[in-house]
Amino acid sequence: MNSIRHLGAALGAAALVLLLWGAPPASAQGTPVGTAQNAIGTLVVVRSDGIEDRLQGKGALPLYEGDVLRTEAATQALIQFRDGVQVALNEGTAFKILSRWEKARGITRIIRLSQGEVWVTTGEGLKQLEVETPVATAIVEGTEFNLKVQEDGQSVLTVIQGVVQFGTPFGTCPIRTGTISYGARGKRCTKPAETNVQPAIAWKQALTQ
Amino acid sequence: MERTRAVPASLISVWALLALAGCAEVKPKDQALEPRTRIYVANESGNSVTVVDGTTFQVIGTVDARNHSTHDLAVTRDGKWLFATNLASGRLSVIDTDAMETVASIATGTRTHVVTLTNDNRHAWVCNIGENNISIIDTKTFRILGTIAVGKGPTGLAFSRDGQFAYVSNQGDKAVEVIETASHRIIKTIPVGTNPHFLILGPDGRIWGTNTGGTDIYVIDPATQDKVASLNVGPAPQQIAFGFKGLQGPNAYVTVGGLNKIVVVNADAKNLRILEQIDVGQRPNGAWANREGTRVYAVHEVSNDLRVIDTGTSQVIATVPVGRKPIRVVYHGG
Repeated sequence: MNSIRHLGAALGAAALVLLLWGAPPASAQGTPVGTAQNAIGTLVVVRSDGIEDRLQGKGALPLYEGDVLRTEAATQALIQFRDGVQVALNEGTAFKILSRWEKARGITRIIRLSQGEVWVTTGEGLKQLEVETPVATAIVEGTEFNLKVQEDGQSVLTVIQGVVQFGTPFGTCPIRTGTISYGARGKRCTKPAETNVQPAIAWKQALTQ
Repeated sequence: MERTRAVPASLISVWALLALAGCAEVKPKDQALEPRTRIYVANESGNSVTVVDGTTFQVIGTVDARNHSTHDLAVTRDGKWLFATNLASGRLSVIDTDAMETVASIATGTRTHVVTLTNDNRHAWVCNIGENNISIIDTKTFRILGTIAVGKGPTGLAFSRDGQFAYVSNQGDKAVEVIETASHRIIKTIPVGTNPHFLILGPDGRIWGTNTGGTDIYVIDPATQDKVASLNVGPAPQQIAFGFKGLQGPNAYVTVGGLNKIVVVNADAKNLRILEQIDVGQRPNGAWANREGTRVYAVHEVSNDLRVIDTGTSQVIATVPVGRKPIRVVYHGG
């Protein structure tokens, strides 16, 4: 009995240590971080070991940290992260799912957008999400926005609802509802200008209906 | 009952002595006289950073990088933050040096290799060998704010004295690219030699580099953006630190992995020549010097130790066992 009690105490202590230590950096595949739910055409998911999975039509393809998602021409797709954040991919889009771990803030979900266009809505509540492009980063809390990476890397942010902090190495500026801003290499993001947001997100209507 | 309430006079004396002793320990004057000096060693196979007291050369802790293949290090000017690349994880660990613990892990890119802080310490630039780019990270928020596409296999990175230019060595291209920091555009590519690796700003304001795949070191002049000198030092030169031998100097202390030596070169780009060679451990790699240039710290991949060299006598004055496969070392002088 004593040895069982000691074992229990040791396990309890180990659990306490793990709790105090905090969540480990999420870098390995293991627990899905979300699912791909719909694809018009074919969504290609390249796992970190190089294996390719595909989704055509509606489904629930698990997504993991380190996955690269890719849509070809005439393909669009919709995914949802576990915390409710929805991301739509327009045609010709590629991004990698990553994260940053901080002892003080926990896990921040990172979408590293190398090309194409995404629409993002965070749903209810504040979320820790950032979308990185080659020249800028959109820091998101509770909001809906569209972000497009052009061939030269220039990034176009349109905020449909809420506020997005749009940062480049040359400065960060808040972009609010109904405005657009451009991020270019070697420059601070442009001053937000009012815009009609509906044309910017018309492309994703078929996915979210 | 009354006896329990009374405090014995002897106990009061002990408290008074303890209080006085405590006050003496926190005198600002004493702190100013002995600023904290530390040596940090990245252990690639240990996935950790060994922390060594810079005065006593005693190991005072080992920090788990919480990632794999800890490779390169950069410490902020105030000494509070240490950034460590992790080659296999593709991540940058952020270490709080007061708490001696990893407090953040940032996904930068495949095969994260070296990290260098901008001169104002606002950004950390990280080379990702597997993606042929540089990630730019905000050192306060730990966010990646952008990337710069560079040549094949970026493995070395240094900034000019005025911060206007960044230099990145690309192994696959056998060249160093010059990036204008105001525009993030590559303005020149300088052929340098076989498998260029480490880069550092020298005391002469020039950029010094090693061709680890060859046998030579080279010097780039930011005034002309040309390679202005080179010198054969031996097989697999790794890193360079600068110090003085008494009145003589500054000298470049080059770790030469193929010789198990540190080769001392006079740091005059117009007249590079070998002054002496110092026997060290097995396969020396990382090198750093203290601010005064009187000590050079070198780590050894095979003998798994840090050796402290007194540049005045060229003698190894301390050997400190560290973690498995130490690659890089940095010093912070308080």
